Amino acid sequence: MDLVIEDLTVEYASGGYVVCPIENLSLEVSSGELVLLLGPSGCGKTTLFSVLAGILQPASGSVRFRDTVVNDLGGSALTHYRRSTVGIVFQAFNLIPSLTALENVQVPLLAAKVPRREAGPRAETLLTQVGLADRMAHRPGDLSGGQQQRVAIARALAHNPPLLLADEPTAHLDYIQVEGILRLLRELATSGRVVVVATHDERLLPLADRIVEMSPRVAARERPPEHLVLSSGDIIFKQGDPGERIYVVWNGEIELLRRREDGTNLVMERLRSGRYFGELSPIFGLPRSMTARAATNAVVTGYTVTDFRRQVGAPSMDDLILGADVRLQDEPPEAIEAMGDGH
Amino acid sequence: MWLISLRDLQFRRRRFTIAVAATALTFAMTLLMAGFSATLHSEIRRIVDVIGADSWVVAEGTSGPFTASTVVPAATTDAVAAAPGVDRASALVLLHSAMSEPEDRDVNVIGYSSGGVGEPPVTEGRAPEETGEALVDTALEVAVGDSISVGGLQLRTVGTSDGITYYFGTPTIFVPLENAQAMAFSGQDLVTTVVTSGKPSTLPEGLEELTPTQVRVDLERPLANGTKSIDLISMLLWITAAGIIGSIIYLSALERTRDFAVLKATGAPNSALMGGLALQAIVLSITSAALAVVLAQLLAPLFPFGVEIYARAYAVLFAIAISVGLLASVAGLRRAVRVDPALAFGGP
Repeated sequence: MDLVIEDLTVEYASGGYVVCPIENLSLEVSSGELVLLLGPSGCGKTTLFSVLAGILQPASGSVRFRDTVVNDLGGSALTHYRRSTVGIVFQAFNLIPSLTALENVQVPLLAAKVPRREAGPRAETLLTQVGLADRMAHRPGDLSGGQQQRVAIARALAHNPPLLLADEPTAHLDYIQVEGILRLLRELATSGRVVVVATHDERLLPLADRIVEMSPRVAARERPPEHLVLSSGDIIFKQGDPGERIYVVWNGEIELLRRREDGTNLVMERLRSGRYFGELSPIFGLPRSMTARAATNAVVTGYTVTDFRRQVGAPSMDDLILGADVRLQDEPPEAIEAMGDGH
Repeated sequence: MWLISLRDLQFRRRRFTIAVAATALTFAMTLLMAGFSATLHSEIRRIVDVIGADSWVVAEGTSGPFTASTVVPAATTDAVAAAPGVDRASALVLLHSAMSEPEDRDVNVIGYSSGGVGEPPVTEGRAPEETGEALVDTALEVAVGDSISVGGLQLRTVGTSDGITYYFGTPTIFVPLENAQAMAFSGQDLVTTVVTSGKPSTLPEGLEELTPTQVRVDLERPLANGTKSIDLISMLLWITAAGIIGSIIYLSALERTRDFAVLKATGAPNSALMGGLALQAIVLSITSAALAVVLAQLLAPLFPFGVEIYARAYAVLFAIAISVGLLASVAGLRRAVRVDPALAFGGP
């Protein structure tokens, strides 16, 4: 295997709190394969690219490309890895507006101190390869989206890297331009590279040899309510978990915690009997933004979104999203009350 | 990576041109200020050199012949001439007066003895030989043969000299000693100083010898506040230029944040990014300095007070301009270094 990702967890601080977009990810890819990282915005696709490019250090786990453990690299070895091993096609192309197409492709070569007399012909070859032989002297502002994307791909290939990362390569293109880019990416993989494409566009699925769903989808299916009798300190769900249910507190107290940058937890809210929590995650398919923990012995019930709306008299989705007070129609089941009493 | 920096300058040429124009004007003003300052010092050096004395003899305790109003009897001249070491001695009367004809102008008047030490250089005509004659500086724009009225005396111009000014460019008129005594001392036989050829080893009691350097230093003393003010204004202009260059480079660094992130993500070292920005600052500084030289040459003749810009001032301008440019770009360089390469992955 050429690219081996083992038990990778990535955390970073955002607004003083810890965000964990990737948790325990493992993946193996061979040369010639095209891997599609599929998922919505914020699911960790770009974060994984940053780790693969050696820009971001993981909290744990490892990334190995052939004989190089990427997360062990530093200094000049890391610079060399970025130059020679990884080619990146950025979302929105990220071409330098003051340079022509030819000069944009030359930039990585010149940064690596390749003489101009060698960088020029190499850039010309690459632009010809991506079908832009007649647009070399044009600046990005004079090129269409598809042409800019081709220049970006040619730039990523400047050092003939064995690993190519393409971030949302079709995001700003019309369907005619998309066709050409998809064919080009497929060709690049077939010619012996590892190509990793991050996208939220499911139309790209047939392109892939392997698909990694970065945000596992929870099927909105009917499930019976989940009654939980909790002791003080029991965890209901953790920050970063996929969200399936909305919880109602029947008795006791539940606290919602958010992990801070310094490793401690901040109590964001404390909920008593009659309140509900965890509604946004299942509604929007987002990971849990907080950890829910029993502050005392407590009894809660988890409902699917549909069941919950039935339980509280079908409030509008707006009321749920805005966190409006809702009146629970049902009393807790007797069995649950008994369990709570027995606590 | 210099290619990116130069292309960026081309790409943003309108802004670059405006910045160069503003910086060049500021640099030109520093050149003119340096020219003013140089003129203040050089005109003093010139007037002392024109008199050409080895010694200036004044009443004891006098700070200098140009700045003090103490006098000595004219007869002192003979006593000084007889002193050991003195070849020749001549009396001078130095005063500040006003010309009322053909137009009102402040003037310096030097009364001297024809054929003695301190005879003025002549550009056109001849030096005054008899009372009622005058040799005027060309700055007064009086022709040979014209009549002038100075200190209540009617004089006839017999010659002109060029560049003989002091006290912020005030032109000088040379007249016979008697005329100057009439203006300054109501005809009393007094003089301001006795200038000598050869240095006296001893002097009669009550007299003191000043070297040309001491005379020059004394004459520069009243100008000290003026030159300090000029130096201060020059420094403020340098800071203004640094502000213009710094803001342009910082703005460039801000606008190119994404470019820097992309370059870093693709393996460009920090040194390359810093070098590129520093190059922009240097190009901006040198272009501005070159334009400033042209501007200063064009503007200098418009000033009524002479502006003497020496080659050294141009060399200093380029050296300081580059230093100012680099110093001003530090904020931009720091910004470039701190750019997170992960920014390259962001959306549009």
